[in-house]
Amino acid sequence: MIERRIQHLRVERPAATETVDAARDRLGPLFPRGALRRMTHLGLLVGATLDGLAIGADDTIVYATTYSETRALEDYLASFPTPSPLLFQTSIHPSAVQQVMIGRQQPVRRFLPLTGRRRLVEHALLAALLDPAPRVVLTGGEERGTWLLDHGVASDRAFAFALGLAACPGPGAIGRLAFTADPSAAAPESCPSLPDFADALAERRPLSWRGFGGEYALEWAA
Amino acid sequence: MSAEADALPVGIGVCDCLTPLGDAAATHAALLAGRRALEMRPVLGRDGGDAVPLALCAPMDETIPPRWLPDLRRLVARIPGDAWGTAARPVIITSSNFGVGSLHAFTRDRDSRHLRHGPPFACVEMLQREFGWGDHILLLSHACVSAQHGLLQAARLLHGGAAGRVLVVTFDFVSPFVAGGFSSLKILNAGWPAPYAVRESGSIGLGDGAAFAVLTREGGAFRLAAHALHNEMFHFTGNRPNGAGFDAIAAAIAGAAQGRRVWVKGHGTGTLEAGRLEAEAFARALPDAPLVSWKGSLGHTLGSCGLVELAITLAALRAGRVPGTVGSTAPCFTDNVALADFAAGEFDGVVLDSNAFGGAHAATLLTHD
Repeated sequence: MIERRIQHLRVERPAATETVDAARDRLGPLFPRGALRRMTHLGLLVGATLDGLAIGADDTIVYATTYSETRALEDYLASFPTPSPLLFQTSIHPSAVQQVMIGRQQPVRRFLPLTGRRRLVEHALLAALLDPAPRVVLTGGEERGTWLLDHGVASDRAFAFALGLAACPGPGAIGRLAFTADPSAAAPESCPSLPDFADALAERRPLSWRGFGGEYALEWAA
Repeated sequence: MSAEADALPVGIGVCDCLTPLGDAAATHAALLAGRRALEMRPVLGRDGGDAVPLALCAPMDETIPPRWLPDLRRLVARIPGDAWGTAARPVIITSSNFGVGSLHAFTRDRDSRHLRHGPPFACVEMLQREFGWGDHILLLSHACVSAQHGLLQAARLLHGGAAGRVLVVTFDFVSPFVAGGFSSLKILNAGWPAPYAVRESGSIGLGDGAAFAVLTREGGAFRLAAHALHNEMFHFTGNRPNGAGFDAIAAAIAGAAQGRRVWVKGHGTGTLEAGRLEAEAFARALPDAPLVSWKGSLGHTLGSCGLVELAITLAALRAGRVPGTVGSTAPCFTDNVALADFAAGEFDGVVLDSNAFGGAHAATLLTHD
């Protein structure tokens, strides 16, 4: 079995009506002024969940998002035939974490941006659990789309989460993530979706499922 | 920050690529002959725009099904074995673009069928159905270091006992979406790319590219011995001016290559600042190692470049001859830049380096007998 202890947990589940401007007003004090004006809703939410977590240069960041920078993508597409350079660079998949870390001017050795849908949570957990860094930050989230949502290719809600995961048991651990390898395991069960995972974190609800190659578990300290 | 690479040796079972010049062997032969796949084409495809250097397998029109699907079919047909996407045989798919070009096509044509392969998951689910793969498919997207992240994750799955063999597949096909973006940044312009050459202004080309590798725990004639990563987090599209990011990655992979005679397959897109910093960093870290880039011919194959160029590297090692930096002429930023081809037999290792937005760096050490 491989496991990591949860030492930091923060989840953002803003009101469905929250706009990026409202999020900027609400969360602005957390970010350098120069970075704030260009941050996306997802960047703001991810940044808020990473607040209070002093990410070191040798920590690893694992990032999970299905749709990533939907609004920047929508606006970039609308900028044709004179595409916007700012929206182009903001629309790339790992942008939310980069917005936060560039704002902090904090280099980091390993940064693994994952995407996907049906088994995204499982694969993000596997990446976090297999990583050798003493501390892994597992973060993720989505922002709500507009016209892409109308066509079913964007998230219908905004949220973000961040977990600080230590390799060793220590004081202050509030829960744990674990993977128990079982190559003989039967067919995998369905994996929690990214929004379900964020809700389980927010509500400190345990999760377990049989995934590819073994059992996954999210457990909480009493 | 400690400058160490992750030593996770794995064997390369099979590896091949697809570029506008053909498979890895054909592309290698074309590079040796000094052929340039790039051609001046309108940056927005059928919507026109300035002529920029693009290396395309087919006209840059977004079609239904996507224009790149036949190319991927041809490539995937070369992958041996079956049961990919199962517990013991996961697939890792990397791309910086997946099917995002189809979203641009939708905004133009309003045909909702384009959206079926727009988001990464939808694009991959289409491929999954097409190729009969199972659900155990990890997707990684870290701009132009995506493929090397895929190789590292594959090595980690193998060493962690979470897989018996891993198939890494990567693909990036140029679309108006991405060509327009790089053009708006002014680095894709009317100039031909000349990696590492001292010039008045820099320019890149963009190219179609796809590749795969089957990685195993067992060693073979060719092994991925170590991987190094670094993320500067300095600026979205710029690097630390003092070259600290390039120095960090070069020092880390040079440490892993200690005692070996290596050459460096650099990133070398044709931009001036990053090209100079990369050449200088490797001149310091590996002063005896020749540095080459092939993007002056192939263009930048974006998130797939790390694996596309690995496949060409393997073809070069098998053929015994390493293509030089096609498209560039002296003077260069540093003396380590190899403009002409050279014999592979003098070396027993290759460093493969890639960089990306956000100051992301990835380097892999390939070793061979």
